[in-house]
This record gives sequence, C-alpha cells and structure tokens, in this order.
Amino acid sequence: MLWLTLFFLVPMGFLGYQSLQSGLFPHFHFTWEWSNYSHVLRSNHDGGYRDQYLRSFLYAGIATLACLVLAYPLAYWIAFRAGPWRNLFLLFIIAPFFVTYLVRTLAWLNILADQGPVVRILRDIHVLGPNGRLLATTFAVIAGITYNFFPFMALPLYVSLEQIDPRLLEAAGDLYGSSTQAFLRVTVPLSAPGIVAGTLLTFIPAAGDFINAALLGTPNQAMIGNVIQSRFLESLDYPTAASLSFILMATILIILLVYAWIVGTEKLTG
Amino acid sequence: MNRRMTRDELLRRGAIGLGAISVPGLLAACGGGGGGGGGSASSSQKLNKVLEFANWPYYIDTPMTLKAAGINKPTTLKQFEQKTGIKVNYYEEINSNPEYFAKVQGRLSKGEGIGRDIIVSTDNDRFLGDYISNHWAQKLDKSLIPNIKNLIPAQQHPPFDPNRDYSLPWASGMDGIGWNEKQTDPVTSVKQLFEDPKLKGRVGVWNSMGDTLGLVILENGDDPANVTDAVFNRAIARVQKAVDSGQIRKFYGNEYAAVLEKGDLAASMAWSGDIANLGDPKIHWNVPTQGGIIWTDNMLIPLGGSVPTASTYMNFMYDPMISAQWAVGANYISSVKDVKSDAVKLDPKAGSNDLTFPTDKTLSQMHQNDPKMLTNPDYNTKWLAVQGQ
Amino acid sequence: MTTVAETLAVPPRPSVASRVWRFVKRHALTAYAFLAVGYLLLPIAVVIMFSFNHPPGRFNYVWHKFTFENWIHWNSVLGIQSAIEKSLEVALLATFVATALGTMIALALVRHQFRGRAATNLVVFLPLSTPEIVLGSSLLALFLNDQNTIQLGFVTIFIAHVMFIISFIVVTVKARLIGFDRHLEEAAMDLGANEWTTFQKVTLPLLAPAILAAGLLGFALSIDDFVITFFNAGQVQTFPIFVWTISKNAVPPQVNVVASAIFLVAIILGLANVVWQYRAAKSTRGAGA
Repeated sequence: MLWLTLFFLVPMGFLGYQSLQSGLFPHFHFTWEWSNYSHVLRSNHDGGYRDQYLRSFLYAGIATLACLVLAYPLAYWIAFRAGPWRNLFLLFIIAPFFVTYLVRTLAWLNILADQGPVVRILRDIHVLGPNGRLLATTFAVIAGITYNFFPFMALPLYVSLEQIDPRLLEAAGDLYGSSTQAFLRVTVPLSAPGIVAGTLLTFIPAAGDFINAALLGTPNQAMIGNVIQSRFLESLDYPTAASLSFILMATILIILLVYAWIVGTEKLTG
Repeated sequence: MNRRMTRDELLRRGAIGLGAISVPGLLAACGGGGGGGGGSASSSQKLNKVLEFANWPYYIDTPMTLKAAGINKPTTLKQFEQKTGIKVNYYEEINSNPEYFAKVQGRLSKGEGIGRDIIVSTDNDRFLGDYISNHWAQKLDKSLIPNIKNLIPAQQHPPFDPNRDYSLPWASGMDGIGWNEKQTDPVTSVKQLFEDPKLKGRVGVWNSMGDTLGLVILENGDDPANVTDAVFNRAIARVQKAVDSGQIRKFYGNEYAAVLEKGDLAASMAWSGDIANLGDPKIHWNVPTQGGIIWTDNMLIPLGGSVPTASTYMNFMYDPMISAQWAVGANYISSVKDVKSDAVKLDPKAGSNDLTFPTDKTLSQMHQNDPKMLTNPDYNTKWLAVQGQ
Repeated sequence: MTTVAETLAVPPRPSVASRVWRFVKRHALTAYAFLAVGYLLLPIAVVIMFSFNHPPGRFNYVWHKFTFENWIHWNSVLGIQSAIEKSLEVALLATFVATALGTMIALALVRHQFRGRAATNLVVFLPLSTPEIVLGSSLLALFLNDQNTIQLGFVTIFIAHVMFIISFIVVTVKARLIGFDRHLEEAAMDLGANEWTTFQKVTLPLLAPAILAAGLLGFALSIDDFVITFFNAGQVQTFPIFVWTISKNAVPPQVNVVASAIFLVAIILGLANVVWQYRAAKSTRGAGA
C-alpha cells in the first residue's frame, strides 16, 4: 500500500511538477509554465501535437473495435463449443505473450515485407495495386496494435461468456425463434461485463503505444507515444514531455470516468 | 472467539515477512547494479587489463571483411591485444548520438563513470561539443600518444576541441545516396529521391538533422556550413513536402541498410561505409549531384574511464599500417597521413576505392555542417516535428 | 388442459435450407476459431522458423538456409546473455516481492473493513488503467528529480516492475478470494487451530493456485515489459531493451533463438498446467462430490 502510494501517486506528482517547468537541458526551473500545456495542444501547424493525440485515440479506437469483432466469436466458441479442448485454446490465446512484444512485432516486418509472399499474393489477386504495400501504412500500424492487444480483449470476453448459464441460452433460443435475436438480446447483454473490461484493457494501453507506429509505420502514422518517447529520451525536453504525458493520462481518466458512469463502477473494480 | 485476524496483525506479520525478503533483495540488487556500472570519477594512472570500448556498428575490421579484402592478418583489435596484452571489450551499442547521450548523461552529470574507457560521438551533432563543454570528457595523455603526429592537418584544430586535448578522430564518412538496382534505376540526386514518383513510399532518410538537412540544403543550392533561418526553413519545407506526399517511408538510424537490402526501400540517403560493408553487389552508392556532406566520428574518454589504457589504444590505432588495415576492413575514411599508400601495400585494390580513400575530386564535392545549426533548439524542435515527433 | 397441450405443440420442422444454414453456422464458427488461432500463432511460427536461418550477411529478413548454429552459439552476440540474465533477475525478484505484497493487499481488501478501503481499491486499479508510457515516464520524472539518492539502473527497473505487477496480483488473488469458502477455515478453527495456523495450513494452500497463477502472470509481464523498463533503465539492458537497441541495426538470429526459447519454456509449462487441470478435474469427478 505504501509502495503504491510512493511509487505511483508521487511520480504522478512529479510529472505534474515537471510539466510546469521550463528551460533547456540540463537546467530546468520550476516556473508554473502553463504555456507548456497550451503549446502542446495547439494544432501541428503551429507547433503543437494535436494530430498525434487525435491519431492515437483514433487508432486505438479502431483497433479496439477490430479486436472486439475478431475476438468475440473466438471467445464464444471456446466458451461453448470447445469442450475438453478449452484450456488448450486459452493457452493458444495467451501464447503470443510468451514471445517478447518487440520480437512479435518485428516478425510482422518479415511477414508483410514488400517482397514477401503475402504482399505478392495480394498484388496478384489485385487487392493491392502493382506497387502496393502493406508495411509503412496506417493499415499495418492498426493491424499491429490489434494483433498485440487481441488477448486483452479475448480473455475477459471468454471469462464473462463462460459464466453464462447455458440453460439461459437455450431458453432464449426457445423464446426468440431466431438465434440472431437470441444472441443479440440475451448473450450480448449477459457478456457485457466482459465487453466493458475487454474494451478498457485494450483501448487504454493501445492509446499510449508507440512501438507499432515506430516499426510498422511512416512519420505520418506517428502516435502521441512516439512524441513522448522522443521528448524524454532523445531531445531531453522533460517539461514538454511531462505535459504531454500528463494530458494523455488525464484524457484517459476522463474517458474512464465517463465509461464508468455509463456502466456502473462495480463492473470495473469488482 | 475472534476468528478474524485483525488487519493490524496481518500487516504486522506481513511487514516482518516482507522485511526479511525485500531488504536483502534490495541490497543484492543495489550491489549487482552498482558494481557493474560506474567507478569513481578519478581515473587510475596505471594500465588496465581490459579496455571497455563503446562504438557504432560496422565501424571496425572483422575477419569477414579482411578476408574479402584479401588481407591475411588478424583484426586490429586482435593485434592490439597481442601487442599490449590488454583485452578489448568491444560494444556496438551506439546507434544514435542523442540516444546514447540520454543514456549516459545521468551518471556523467553526477561525475560518475559509465563503465567505458572510450566512446565515440559525431561532429555533426551537438553532443560531441556538449560532452566536452560539460567537462564529461577527460584529457588525453598525449605522452602516451606519440602517433598523434600522424593526424592529418585538416583534423588538427576542429572547433569543438581546438588543441585536440580531449578527442581524436575515429572515422570519417560521407553522406550520399544508396540504391538497390533490383528496385530502381540509378538515383543520383536528392531531387530525384524526393520527387521521382516511381520511388514513392520507398525512400529513406536519416533521423539525424545534420546529415539529412545537409544534403537537402545542398540540393537547394545553399551552403550547409552557413545556415540562416531562411536556408533552414527552405530545407525543412522540402522535407515536409516529401513526408506529406508519402514519398519518404521513414526516418532511419543505422537500420536503413538492412531495409534497403531487403527491398522495402528502393533508395535511401546512405553512409558511404555502410554500403561498402554490406558487401552486396546490387546495392550502390554515389555522391549526390549537388554535393555531399563529410563528417567525423571522434573518440572520447568519458569520466571514470582509464586515461592511460584508452590513450594507449588510440596511439595504436594511429600507426599508419594499422590504420590502413582498419580503413580497408571497416570501409571508412581514416584521418592518418598517407594512409592510402600504406593501404595499397596491404590490398592493391585499395588504390581505386574512392569510398574509403576518396580522391581530391571527391573530397572537393564534400561539405561540412554548420555547428550553429546543430545546437539551435528551435531547429531541433522543428526537425522532430517533421518526423511526426 | 387442452390449451396447455396446444401451447406445448411441437413447432413445425425447420426447412432443409435452414438446417443447412445451421450446419454451416455451427461449423463456420469452429472454422473461424481455428483461423483466429492460426493468425495468433503465425508470427510466433515465423520467429521460431527464422531462428534456424543462416543469413548470408548481418540481416535476418530473407530465408537462406537451415542451421543449428544459432542455437548452439546463442550467446555469441555480445550483450545478449547479460540482457536475458538481467531480465530473469529482475523478473524473479520483482515477482516475488510483488506477489507477497499483492496477496496481502488482496486479503486486506476482501476480508477486512477499514477506512480508506474504497480509496485503496481505486489506487490499486489505477496503474492498470494507465498506459505504460505514462507510468514509465512519470517514474522517470520522479527518479530524475531525485538523482542524488537514486540512479537509473537495476534498482529503478526493480521498483517500476513491482509497481505495475502488484495491481495484476491484487486483481487476480481478489477474484479467487471472493469465491472462497470460509467454512473450511471455520472448521479448522473449531478444531482448535489458532489464526496463524489456520492461515498457514488451510487458507494459504487453498489460495496457492491463485497466488501461483498471479505470480506467473507477474513474471511473464516482467520479462516482457519494454516501455516502462525502457524509460527507467539508464544503461542497464534487459532482453526487450536489448532487442530494441539491436533492431536499430539488424536483428541477429540469436534474438529469435532466445525469444523462441522463452516461448517454448512457457508453452511447456502451460501445457503441463492444462494436462494437470484436466487430470485434477477427472479425479475430483471420480472422487464424487
């Protein structure tokens, strides 16, 4: 408890402190530099980073949606159809985690290479133009994020689906003649806690990610994570970096609070 | 009966248990972490048994490259070890000047060592000057470096170290254009790089401001050694246009060479030595039509490094025959006098190797960066912005 | 009564078309599941495959020829061995400490009413809801401001890891605790055991699987962590940081080797767990409830 206070709340405090400083490395002074914040939120044309913020939330949002759509059927299948193979398939879902994040993402560089088999096939069947490519595109970055955070969506979905009493589903099937209706009106609402947890666990880290954008994209795909990383570790511009980080955190907290208000706090922390 | 343990009891017992676990753990961690890293700021006067050398990749002769050049000798590192008995731990851990600076500035700013005797930093970036002006570099022991007399005149009084008290050149290299013949016809100018529609999305540039903007400034017809705001803005605007149009794929560090060979890039701004080191006949390099940039990477002895050991090594590398072998094996330009004539004795082909032993004509096409451009914080911010950062 | 019989009348037999459709739907889902798993495992397969590659130059992008060399000489790349050693050290230490702390916090949260309980719940949850980059950069801000006491390196990595692992541990153990059957503990106490003995001999062993699972999760998170570590490591290199640094150059196959090795160890443990759970389920069914 003390540990958490010390190493979580206090750093947040320092982040705030640092974000209000000014000056050049290595001599920073605390000057209540609120202009750091307004500077950072200006549009890119004026030297701000609004584009990267908006892009981060956009990419994270699309990726989360993609994860939801792709993971739900899989989670459903494992919960209701997998039988004795259930644990094995759960293992398959977490398997990617056992390979370091970076190495996983680098593998996509091999798979989606311009001269590689995947791109060649797509060009042959005219899905891509003759000079088309998959890497260094928005598609690659979002696909990378989706892949990397897939288990974060799949597992909570599975957990909540698994708890549904199958008899309820049968009853729904009887009540509503069509299975689509049964699905929409019974299964989905019952799995709501899983959907909520999954979307949060996916969206939040995705918004702060920079590795996929760095490895799989062009400068036009840079996310706010890239900016924060370069400010802290390359240009050593700590005050700007701190304010960038703080705004990201604050925005996410606001989104979280709104979400919680709509959905009810117990589902989150309980 | 009170069946529930009170929270206090739980925490008390937990705390005792925790104390037992974590304190030795922390101590061990401190011991393990601290020991490997820095030493005290004062350096010993005696020769160490081991030299800790941090450098960029592709910067030294290897058995493979020597074999390709037909030189039947051990590598220069091995020869140093044989001659002096000092073992060299060679770390190819420097990939970019700002990244490395950020990594080591914590310790250096507190007067602590970083576990290295020699590090290497480039003169067309602000950090080389920063190391010296922050007093994070130790003075060389010139009494141990008699070979310093072999340093070419052009390198004897650089602006960041006028008396060569703190640094010595390791390698010079040229900025130019590399291209993959399987992916494209020859690419000979920055204009072509930025505007040829056939290259769209398959062009690489560096994330280093001095290198990339230097070439663009030349393409604009300006002088990179004398950068005004107008000159800078023209260059940045040109790069921004190429980014917005999707012409530029990415701003690379050292890894552009791998991607060029892989075929994801058709052409890229490239360093002369990297392309030579690839050893791949389908990758070519040339000086851009409007001129190239020449830069020099310098050796420094950081705080905590052993001055005698480092100086001994530097002296060894300034022996003409050793430097010649290094140049042929590493494919970069040496700063030792008459190194070309010595290299020819080792490998006759060296005479015609314009990349490593540039002719006067090639050198005349080379320019240097304006140090004021590199230290300007406003320019640095704009440079990051064009990269999306 | 006839009305009941009427309402219970058997619905009309579904048409052939809808039966075919249901067949397709039923198996489409299964097919999809297999495809999805394939997609998940594809990059892993690529990583393992390329660990056996013998690249002609420094670059491991194109398949050249097969070799065992990389596995035999896995530590011939300078720095790879110390990087993985550092990763393991940090992971073991941090997981141990975090599991101990986290379990206690979970116990306190579930079993005891105390002031600030809601706040603690919230604070424990917060690190989970913060992007890694914010966590990493705020810790960096803390350490940078305090450079006289603490230097970036092993200790800072350790502190950072414990911090974000604790939250996961608490959530996992709490979940198990909530469904815990107190009767066993009550029975033990009725039989004369005091609180500490009960804790030791009844509670802890029953909690053990959850604590173990939480610990394994924490270990995996620590080994794989890149962003938070990257911000707080200074010069120390853990394996993920090593991969990032070297990927600026060219990734040697040995990186694939180490990554594959970690993967294989984890998968074997995972499979063992699957088998063990399967056997355990069988035996409890056999013993009868």
